[in-house]
Amino acid sequence: MLGFDVCNSDRIGRILKSDRNGRNSRVLSFRRPHGVQRVSVLSELNIGDAAMVVALDLPDSVQNQLMHLGFVPDATVKALRHAPAGDPTVYGIDGMEIALRRETAQAIRVKYAELDLQDDEFELLEAGR
Amino acid sequence: MNPCCEVPAFEPPKSSAAALRTVVLIGPPNAGKSTLFNRLTGLRQKVANYPGVTVEQRMGLMAGVGRDDLTVIDLPGVYSLTPYTEDARVAIDVLKGKMPGTPKPDAVLLVLDSLHLTRQLMLAAPVLALGLPTLVLLNMSDLMEARGGSIDTLKLAKELGAAVAQISATQGTGLDSVRLFLNQVGTKNNGIDRQLLTLPVLGNAASTHTWAAQISRKTGYRAPLSAEGSRKLDNILLHRIWGPLLFLMVVIGVFEVVFSIGQPLSDGFGDLLSRAGELVRPLLPMGWLQSLVLDGIWKGISSILVFLPQILLLFLFIGILEDSGYLARAALIADRVMRTVGLNGKAFIPLLSAYACAVPAIMATRTIENKRDRFATILVTPFMTCSARLPVYMLLIAAFIPNRSYLHGFLGLRTIVMLGLYLAGFVAAMTTAHLLKSSILKSSETPFILELPQYRMPTVRALSMRLVDRARVFLHQAGTVILAVTMALWVLAHLPIVHAAQGGWSVPGLADSLIGRIGHLIEPVIAPLGFNWKIGIGLISSVLAREVMVSTMGTLYGADPSTHAESLQAALHSDVSLGGALALMIFFAFAMQCTSTMAVVRRETNSWKWPAVQFAYMLVLAYGAAFVVNHLVMALHL
Repeated sequence: MLGFDVCNSDRIGRILKSDRNGRNSRVLSFRRPHGVQRVSVLSELNIGDAAMVVALDLPDSVQNQLMHLGFVPDATVKALRHAPAGDPTVYGIDGMEIALRRETAQAIRVKYAELDLQDDEFELLEAGR
Repeated sequence: MNPCCEVPAFEPPKSSAAALRTVVLIGPPNAGKSTLFNRLTGLRQKVANYPGVTVEQRMGLMAGVGRDDLTVIDLPGVYSLTPYTEDARVAIDVLKGKMPGTPKPDAVLLVLDSLHLTRQLMLAAPVLALGLPTLVLLNMSDLMEARGGSIDTLKLAKELGAAVAQISATQGTGLDSVRLFLNQVGTKNNGIDRQLLTLPVLGNAASTHTWAAQISRKTGYRAPLSAEGSRKLDNILLHRIWGPLLFLMVVIGVFEVVFSIGQPLSDGFGDLLSRAGELVRPLLPMGWLQSLVLDGIWKGISSILVFLPQILLLFLFIGILEDSGYLARAALIADRVMRTVGLNGKAFIPLLSAYACAVPAIMATRTIENKRDRFATILVTPFMTCSARLPVYMLLIAAFIPNRSYLHGFLGLRTIVMLGLYLAGFVAAMTTAHLLKSSILKSSETPFILELPQYRMPTVRALSMRLVDRARVFLHQAGTVILAVTMALWVLAHLPIVHAAQGGWSVPGLADSLIGRIGHLIEPVIAPLGFNWKIGIGLISSVLAREVMVSTMGTLYGADPSTHAESLQAALHSDVSLGGALALMIFFAFAMQCTSTMAVVRRETNSWKWPAVQFAYMLVLAYGAAFVVNHLVMALHL
């Protein structure tokens, strides 16, 4: 609902250019059009993906509580695993694991991290925060 | 003041020296406040590895650090000083000195988990702003260092304008700093110098987080690497297929062990108890005293005491689940089920701990944010099979269910019946919750936010504390309520004393005694359930507490000459039909027979309306279900 897709994008938000036959080729990052940023919501993250929190569209009390758990703007959040029933999902933030239901995660706007981080790099980044 | 020390240059103002009386422990949930409280006081407050174990303030004297002139208050965990839940409101009121009946704190011990310090520091801002003398304790410092984290505590103390110390409450290290801090509070002014301190706009989470992040950067805080072990374990325990399967296997395994190991233990213990009774017999004069002590009191009390080993085994398992951190995962697995009935997954934690006892479970519902969700959880909690039902089930199952086993001995018929009873309670709880949530307690869905703590190895110390406490509660119950009930029953069973035909006085037969007459009076009401009048008396006395049922049966069958010499199991087996026995088990699964639970429901809901409705609803359900079961068994000619 909040995404403004300018071009296609792959699952971590890199801009893709598609030709007429539908084949995608990745736009090199230095050629990424200025000012275009892939914005999404937390529930859209695939397991293993990391993103940065942009804003929370939730009632004040819930928002406050989530912020005290580390869901503040610019914090890096990673989708870790789904519960066996598929929902809720466990997110890693600030070195902690927090489980949220889909409808809560849908109200948390995120932008995909600029870098395509490998798992171990994410660990380091998380540890350094 | 210590007279041997040098004479101070000036007398400290009396008011400040006398001021320090109450110290308060505050910190985020699961930061280890209760463990520290136990260290400081030498008391044994319940601790476990999930957020929200403590839901009310608790006071104790600081005997553990040699300052028994000071009171220390342990509080529920809070993330900020803006309350969203009932337990957080308690903490904040006590901290600000607004709680009636609790002294206003003079000093603060702020307990933070040093594994996640950046986030935890957010609480420091509003706490320091209170201006009370504060010592910041970085707990779990041993774990932080072991996992490669570090922090400059001197710098942190400077940034916060408060003393900082690293401790480990589980290991008991660093407690000297608390002693030192307490000795200093009265003598020199070490309140917070608020002018030197730049605090963020209070109440604004984003700015507080920025402030906390800045401080943790300035003090060179390096967070430890998150334990890989927890994630690897979760790969299995939260696996799509293995997760729920293991959950089920854990539950079945617990009952198998309670039966296969607990039953022989209980039998041996029972032998020991009856032999002890026989040893005493020659010491007592023949006649009514011997009958009262041995056939009345001892038969009644020992019939319930024999279940102590099995109850302790159950508590050991619940303790391991709670202390390891698995409970939060169970709540995650169960969220899906909970949401279909309209409850929050968080309600699952109180419901699971109700397997031990409904009273603390109902108190634990204070962590549920939404009031309607909380009330619905309170109302269905007594359906969960608490440990007081265990003796009743054990007695009836041992007497009526043959000891057959299936799957090469992995699954016994008795275990299946027991699991069925647990399942019946759970289904009743879920169905009732659904009814409540779709009618009188309807509310918009509240978000499910659950912190998953890292797994921890349960310590022998913590587990044995739980068991000792539980054993004490059990023995206390046996020594008070059950003792009183058995004595009253024995007296009623021997009155009125009649003039015997041959001259002299004699006691009436059991059926003609007062208790027999009361029993026969109510028999028509319970006969459709397959219950005889003795069970009727048991049902009345077990309104006090469920396990009183067993001791009542022990006393009544002990007082009856025809079953006097038999064991309770054998006596029941010959006196009650299978339909009646199964109906009795179902009746106990659904009925609300516990005055302590009713009292706590009344306190937590602040009205007699809810416990009254709950009692009536559960009674009707229990009666109906028992009726159906009894008639079903009769129709099938089992």
